[in-house]
Amino acid sequence: MLKIKHLLQIVLLLCGTVAMAQERTVTGTVRNSANAPVAGVTVAQKGTTNATVTNESGTFTLRVPGTSTVLVFSSVGFATQEMIVAAGTTTLDIALSDDTKQLGEVVVTALGISRQAKTLVYAAQTVKPAELTEARDANNVLNSLQGKVANALITQGSGGPGSGARIVLRGNRSLQQSNNALIVVDGVPFSNGTNGTGTSDFGSIQGSDGASNINPDDIESMTILRGASAAALYGSQAGNGVIVITTKKGRKDRLSVSLNSGISMESAFALPKVQNSYGQGNGNTLRTDTVAYVGDSWGPKMEGQSYINAMGNQSTYSAQPDNIKDFFRKGISVNNSISVNGGNEKMQGYLSYTNNSVQGIIRGNDLMRHTINVRLTNQISKRFSTDAKITYVAQQIDNRPRTGEENSPVSDIYQIPRNMSTAEAKQYESLNSLDIPVPTAWPSTLSSIYQNPYWIINRTAINETRDRVVGFLNAKFNITPWLSISGRGNLDKIYDVGESIVSQGTILWSKSGGDYQKSNIIVTEKWFDLILEGNNKITNDLKITYRVGAIHQDSKWDATYSNSGGLNVTNKFSLGFAKAPSLTSQFTEVQTQAVFGQINLSFKDAIYLDASLRNDWDSRLPSPYSYQYPSIGVSAILSQLLTLPTSLSFLKASVNYAQVGNGGKPQLLNTVYNYSQGAGNGYLQRSATLPIPGLKPEIVKNLEFGVEARFINNRIGFTATYYKSNSFNQLLQIQLPAASGYANKYINAGNIQNAGFELVVNGTAITNKDFSWDVTFNLATNKNTVKELSDDIKTVYLGGGFGRSGTPVVQEGQSYGDLLAFKWATDAKGNRIVTDAGKPVATQDQQFIGNFNPKATIGLTNTFAYKGFSLRLLIDGRAGGTMISGTEMNLAFSGIPEVTDKYREGGWNLGGVNASGAPVSATITAQDFWQIASGKRYGNGEFFAYDATNFRVRELTVGYSIPLKSTVFVKAVKFNIVARNLFWIYRGKSKMDIPGIGKRTMWFDPDMSLGNANFQGVEYGALPATRTIGANLQVTF
Amino acid sequence: MKRITSILNIRMCLVIFCMGTLLASCTKKYEEINTDRNSIATVGAAELPFLFAKAEQASIPSIWTYQVAQNLFADQYAQYFACTATYFPSDRNVIRMDWVGAAFNPIYTDMVPQLQTIFDAADKTSPEYAIANIIWVNGFHKVTDYWGPIPYSQAGIPGNSVAYDPQDQIYDDFFKRLTDAVNTLKTATGPSTYGSYDIIYGGNVGKWIKFANTLRLRLAMRISKVDPARAKTEAEAAYAAGVMTTSPDDDALIKKSTAGDDNNGLSIMSDWNEFRMSAAMESVMVGYQDPRISEYWLPDGATKDNPGGNGKYDGLRNGLTSTQLTQSQNSATSNAKAGKRWSSPDFGGNVDYLSTPQNVMCAAEAYFLRAEGALLGWNMGGTAQELYNAGITNSMKQWGIADAVAINAYINSGNVPIAPNDFLGSPPVSDAPIKFAADQATQLKQIAIQKWLALFPDGYEAWADYRRARTFILYPVANSDNPDITNTSTQWIRRIPFLDAEKLSNKSAVEAAVNLLGSGGDKVTTPLWWDKN
Repeated sequence: MLKIKHLLQIVLLLCGTVAMAQERTVTGTVRNSANAPVAGVTVAQKGTTNATVTNESGTFTLRVPGTSTVLVFSSVGFATQEMIVAAGTTTLDIALSDDTKQLGEVVVTALGISRQAKTLVYAAQTVKPAELTEARDANNVLNSLQGKVANALITQGSGGPGSGARIVLRGNRSLQQSNNALIVVDGVPFSNGTNGTGTSDFGSIQGSDGASNINPDDIESMTILRGASAAALYGSQAGNGVIVITTKKGRKDRLSVSLNSGISMESAFALPKVQNSYGQGNGNTLRTDTVAYVGDSWGPKMEGQSYINAMGNQSTYSAQPDNIKDFFRKGISVNNSISVNGGNEKMQGYLSYTNNSVQGIIRGNDLMRHTINVRLTNQISKRFSTDAKITYVAQQIDNRPRTGEENSPVSDIYQIPRNMSTAEAKQYESLNSLDIPVPTAWPSTLSSIYQNPYWIINRTAINETRDRVVGFLNAKFNITPWLSISGRGNLDKIYDVGESIVSQGTILWSKSGGDYQKSNIIVTEKWFDLILEGNNKITNDLKITYRVGAIHQDSKWDATYSNSGGLNVTNKFSLGFAKAPSLTSQFTEVQTQAVFGQINLSFKDAIYLDASLRNDWDSRLPSPYSYQYPSIGVSAILSQLLTLPTSLSFLKASVNYAQVGNGGKPQLLNTVYNYSQGAGNGYLQRSATLPIPGLKPEIVKNLEFGVEARFINNRIGFTATYYKSNSFNQLLQIQLPAASGYANKYINAGNIQNAGFELVVNGTAITNKDFSWDVTFNLATNKNTVKELSDDIKTVYLGGGFGRSGTPVVQEGQSYGDLLAFKWATDAKGNRIVTDAGKPVATQDQQFIGNFNPKATIGLTNTFAYKGFSLRLLIDGRAGGTMISGTEMNLAFSGIPEVTDKYREGGWNLGGVNASGAPVSATITAQDFWQIASGKRYGNGEFFAYDATNFRVRELTVGYSIPLKSTVFVKAVKFNIVARNLFWIYRGKSKMDIPGIGKRTMWFDPDMSLGNANFQGVEYGALPATRTIGANLQVTF
Repeated sequence: MKRITSILNIRMCLVIFCMGTLLASCTKKYEEINTDRNSIATVGAAELPFLFAKAEQASIPSIWTYQVAQNLFADQYAQYFACTATYFPSDRNVIRMDWVGAAFNPIYTDMVPQLQTIFDAADKTSPEYAIANIIWVNGFHKVTDYWGPIPYSQAGIPGNSVAYDPQDQIYDDFFKRLTDAVNTLKTATGPSTYGSYDIIYGGNVGKWIKFANTLRLRLAMRISKVDPARAKTEAEAAYAAGVMTTSPDDDALIKKSTAGDDNNGLSIMSDWNEFRMSAAMESVMVGYQDPRISEYWLPDGATKDNPGGNGKYDGLRNGLTSTQLTQSQNSATSNAKAGKRWSSPDFGGNVDYLSTPQNVMCAAEAYFLRAEGALLGWNMGGTAQELYNAGITNSMKQWGIADAVAINAYINSGNVPIAPNDFLGSPPVSDAPIKFAADQATQLKQIAIQKWLALFPDGYEAWADYRRARTFILYPVANSDNPDITNTSTQWIRRIPFLDAEKLSNKSAVEAAVNLLGSGGDKVTTPLWWDKN
């Protein structure tokens, strides 16, 4: 009761300052950023028809109410700008900025607050929606950001359409939790979890993430806030930066209808380079009198000999150069969307339906998604407005391929003997006397794991259905013209049903009668906020905007996994046929409540100060659950304060410091006992993780300096940013001596530092009436230093621990993401050690060979426009970083990669010294060398490590807008031809210079990863990268 | 202006304060929110039987640990199976340090915490307390027989370091626990309250007494070379207190299930085709015309449609190189696969192969231990020959061979191991016939061979017994890729090096443990305390 009384008092106190007044006349001058007057600018009182136009000297006069009023300035070629005219103000000076420049752009920042870019105290970069909808990546909208955002490292998940992607801004900082940027849609964090991902080189299913549900056609704007300052108000995962997305809403225009239709073709373009000289066999021989069951391609030269294939049929022993390529199909994706937009002063609506149909490059791997979006904005009274939206996504993904090596069609097809034809491979099964499919004999390189890939794609399946509803209701009440209160409720609910089908006869995981598993996962995210927002003019020069608010957030994760334990009726895939059904259930809930305050001070519209303070109560922490974190930043538009050379049209400097906290993980405070099914009545066992009753929040501290400058009437400009972020008190799971009864425990420790530099250059090279040429360039570097881990622990494995091809680690004093692998052993003088027989000798343990992160990333976009034609070309790339090809390691054992066709007949002298340092001159064969280097599944990563540096033509868009008279029914028609991943400009080389072979060029695409978690730097049976070519038509009525 | 800002500050503080107090009162449910409803926070009497079942299950390798705890180590060193996978170096004496944790960690994290909870909760004179101690010894003797010194007396005490104990002290504790357990159980009046939760004996106290005494006899024999006097005392006391006598009634088999992750570990991996019958097994079983051969093995190339395969049982030598393994004679399809109990119907195996019970300890072993004890002059209640023959008879019964005439013919057979006609042209692995010989050297060899056959597929015990006895000598490993073993005729794997994870997380304790190993250091060639060969 007392609290309510307090609140009332405050409201009354605030209302008391409202000045009652009459109408007044406002006069002003509108200038451009070069300070020249602008004529023909429409000046309107917001929300009314009261408007006027500036004259030749850029001045205007308008009658407005005496109370604080918002004026809207708009003109072709300039960014529309709103300005609050406080009560009592009668003269104004307005600077409009060029529309094509970021300078005057309004960017949407944290909590959906729109601000002018020039007032920001931190780095923000926007991406135009057209760049996401034209040359779209059908698998995930995040992949379309590749090359467009400075210091963003995007790794595509290799699970085909809908697979989760990884987007890391300004380097990795979290060791065991997500490094993905937070995605905020319409002011609220958007659930972006992934149900399963690769955490080791055995591979896994790369599940869908939340981001892949975002429909690019509904995006109105996208802002990337790389630092934590902008994100301080989001708490938790905002430490990794934020992608702020606002979606479309209705406008007060007449009814308009937009159609967007696109089709694109996708084909594999980074397949392994294979040799086509030698076929199945061993030691250069193949017995032709018996069935050829050996899968390795160490046989004789393929010269059309006759032999008995694995199925027992006479066949011809000749090269089949396309037997891998043939396995992949041309993926076709089609997207169609229609949106209706319209409204009047009181009510505006936006309605859209989008259909995405994506066929992956693996046969049967299809995605179908329907997105329905309804948005309604109401001005209920002069003071009260509401905004509501519901988005429903229905998505079905069939036959998602597994990555890695287990039941992975990609790993399986790569193992095909070089002489086996596609037609032979397609005879993958026969029917037994009961008409049940039985796999036909397959010449396997490894009969315990690898199976005919055509069997895998036809007789095993991973399917996923998702229904997702996201909706919000936002209400705003203007208490006074300068003070408002708004409240918002947002619900995000995801229902995922997954199923796994394994036919009887599948080598891995088939139980008696086959196997069926089903998962039901329900994710519920609730968000409520209440924000009091105001702005005042303290003096003519000093303005203040402030917000205080409270946020209540609740996340639930409720999963049930059902396992058939074999099927009573063979290959009938439903739990109804389960032989030994078992269930496991998981549930977590996290609740965060927060209050925050934020002020933005503006002095002479040239110096800006932002400050915020947030306090969180987090259910994951021990009582009293509470912690807080601040942010502060200052920026100065020096070009307005100082007299600068006329060529320098704009200059701004900014500095900010911010902290972000993160409550860690749920359910870590107490010991628990878990039940598992099994013999008798099943089992109960104490959790092997020691609880951490004193759990502390993680804190990321960020410091950022920025300079923004524009020259020659804003024709060219740049933004340069330096940042340093330190992540403290990380929640680390470390190993305990198992003998203590606990396998591991959590600790709060560490100091991971990322520091780097970002440069974004925007320029107009040529501009005239018909032709323009714009250039955007971004360059970023990041240096990671592991300043400290903990007293107990100096090394943390990323992902699933020891990796067979390489192990990504974090070591104190080193950098996040160092790769350890077995190497070619050397003596103290650096000579390579070989056995007396001349075979290479590997090191006894895994040692440092590189780091998976790039040293620098770049993106260069050139946009040309000539009358209705436009052409946009994006080149991007990365410099530095190491990646190990587990695929090549595995295949080399079996004589499949191109490089293995040398020295087949022997005579390969590697040189080197023996263990006692004496030079060795002995010859070996390719099979000797590669089988030692590879070890098949347990190999020596150094032989297969590559410099991941690469540059490529990422996107090309050629468009034509048909010129239309304004009287025509159709308002706009634009046609684009688009292409992604066109060709490589440069690719890195292998790290090792092998005597007699030299360095090899990287054949795979390092953007494709095993998974979207922190296990990076190792490629292993990942889906090949694809090239996309498509067309897109946009029509507006 | 100053006034305005200060007013603003006050207002903002008030609002924050109000919202804060509103929220603070909303954290009441936080403890409940942060609790996992799919787990149990505290365990009471109703939950203890479930903990006991877990401890039983974890005391021997199960499901996914079976391969990397047992099959790729002890089973190969005991030459039950030879590796046919080109990518596993373990059969060539290489220790994969990323695998060995599977034989170590589950004992401490899956068995010890459950037993300790029972020790804390149960009455020290109750059968439940006693049986929990028997499981403790059953789990720990396998660990110490892999490594020698292990964390033992301090096991299960949370901390950043856990000390290792010398193996002789660990064995001393084993004997004490087993003696106490038997004394307690003998005073018990009814079955244990674990009842059906006991997945070995269903709560039958009498069987647990026999189990404990047989385990005591096994451990006594283990120390017979290093401490003959103690061995004799413990063995005779164990025999006197009642060991297993009748198969299959007394045999300890642990139940397995297709529900959950609780399949038979050998079954789950046998269809992967990574291992086949060893040449040693072929030499002995084919040479002896052993009726158990069709229980232990499926013939070469057996399939669902052709369960008889080619009718032959071929094995391959342990330690072939990957190039040798790619020769057709050494392929999985050309050699005998693990028997029908552990193979799927696709290979002619049993429909319920995944829930085949796993052997823990059986009556036949008790007879072979007694037979050897008799030769050592211990009072074992019979002559060596009587006990040897009874051991064979009980082993046959254990595997379902009940034909007394056939068993008798086998016992009196002069058959000897054959040359396995393998890729390397190996000679017979031994010259000892089945029929009990007159000389003690051959007798010891015969007992070792028959025990080796009877213990199948428990490679753990077979390898430990092989290292102790070395009367029956297996084939030298064909190729060694372990730099510490350069001569496979004179060197063999005698222990497992300490875990890399232990060296990182429990460094000082491991360093002290290395000193306990003596001059040999932390190597595979260093003999354990009881290994006097």
